[in-house]
Amino acid sequence: MMRINIKEVKTTQNAVILHFSGELNSDSISEISDSFNKLESFNRNFAIADMTEVSLISSAALGELMGARKRLVEKGGDLVLAGLKIEIRTKLNLMGATKIFRIFSDNRSALNAYKWQIERNPEMVHVTFPPYLEIVPPLRQLISRIAKFKGYSNKDSFRIETIVDEVCNNAVEHGKQGNDQKVDLKMNIDPKKIELDVINMSDPDKMDSLKALLKPREGGQEVQSDNKRGRGLALIKMLTDELTVDCSEKGTSVHIKKVREE
Amino acid sequence: MESQIDLVYEDIRGKANAKLIRFIGDLDATNVETVLEKVCSLLNEGINNLVADFQKLRYVNSTGLGILLHFSKSAKEKGGSFKIANINENVYEIIEIIGATSLLEIYDELDEAIAALD
Repeated sequence: MMRINIKEVKTTQNAVILHFSGELNSDSISEISDSFNKLESFNRNFAIADMTEVSLISSAALGELMGARKRLVEKGGDLVLAGLKIEIRTKLNLMGATKIFRIFSDNRSALNAYKWQIERNPEMVHVTFPPYLEIVPPLRQLISRIAKFKGYSNKDSFRIETIVDEVCNNAVEHGKQGNDQKVDLKMNIDPKKIELDVINMSDPDKMDSLKALLKPREGGQEVQSDNKRGRGLALIKMLTDELTVDCSEKGTSVHIKKVREE
Repeated sequence: MESQIDLVYEDIRGKANAKLIRFIGDLDATNVETVLEKVCSLLNEGINNLVADFQKLRYVNSTGLGILLHFSKSAKEKGGSFKIANINENVYEIIEIIGATSLLEIYDELDEAIAALD
């Protein structure tokens, strides 16, 4: 015998969890159909089918789920499967259904995917690190990998890696040094853009060099071959869509917006 | 700890005072001083015709680019050259954005760079 419990997810605009239990076979089809019809009354079109307590999905029941998915997709939603037992997942794989349904290990993963893809909620990474150059390479690679994992292209991820590297190097080199000091990096990432905020404490002895760095150069972006340093900010400007630098005796904060290009 | 970068040196047959240097890894603010020291010591030994193979150079930042420009200038001052070949697309884009493509001698292929040595 099969049972279905429908649960709205209050923290979302549009998602609902259908908790299935028992065997989904030809006897269950009308109940499955009724459940998806009820979603319309909730005005929700993103459904997560929680299969944690399901012991069988017959081909007839699978066909009904595919039809329900098709109708939700036509309305801009989706039906995804979560918590499938390994043997059922293997069977769905053999039937080619895993190419149609997106499958998640649990409801939480499915909800995160929904919030990311449908509601386009940004996700945040917050890192605080001591002002040492050696920290920057693993940090820039971490941010780049997060961007890649979130679907940004190799090229965009590389550009983001470069931006993080240059901004953090500047924060370390021109900020206050010492074990008790810190650099703060916050990244907000959504499917369309990445925003970065990097904050460090100012070193009064380095204020002049920092102001010189921020002063617009005469002659535009022309580079000189005899200078080993001082091109980082120009590179950041060219790679970003928005750059704001706020520099005072207390601290320096840099805000960057990078729109996804590919 | 520095980012990983290895410089592998090879002689270039038939070319005097020349070396091929294969850059492997990331060139950034944590290792520029090490790389600077190694390449400058070659130039100081009179090996002033250098060909850099960037096929396995994954990453370069503005500081790394700064020392590449320095190698190019120093080699020229000593009567030689610093040529670069096999740059990956991402690294090339950084060089291009900085506006340094005209200041560096860049070749698509290693053979072309070697053949262009005086």
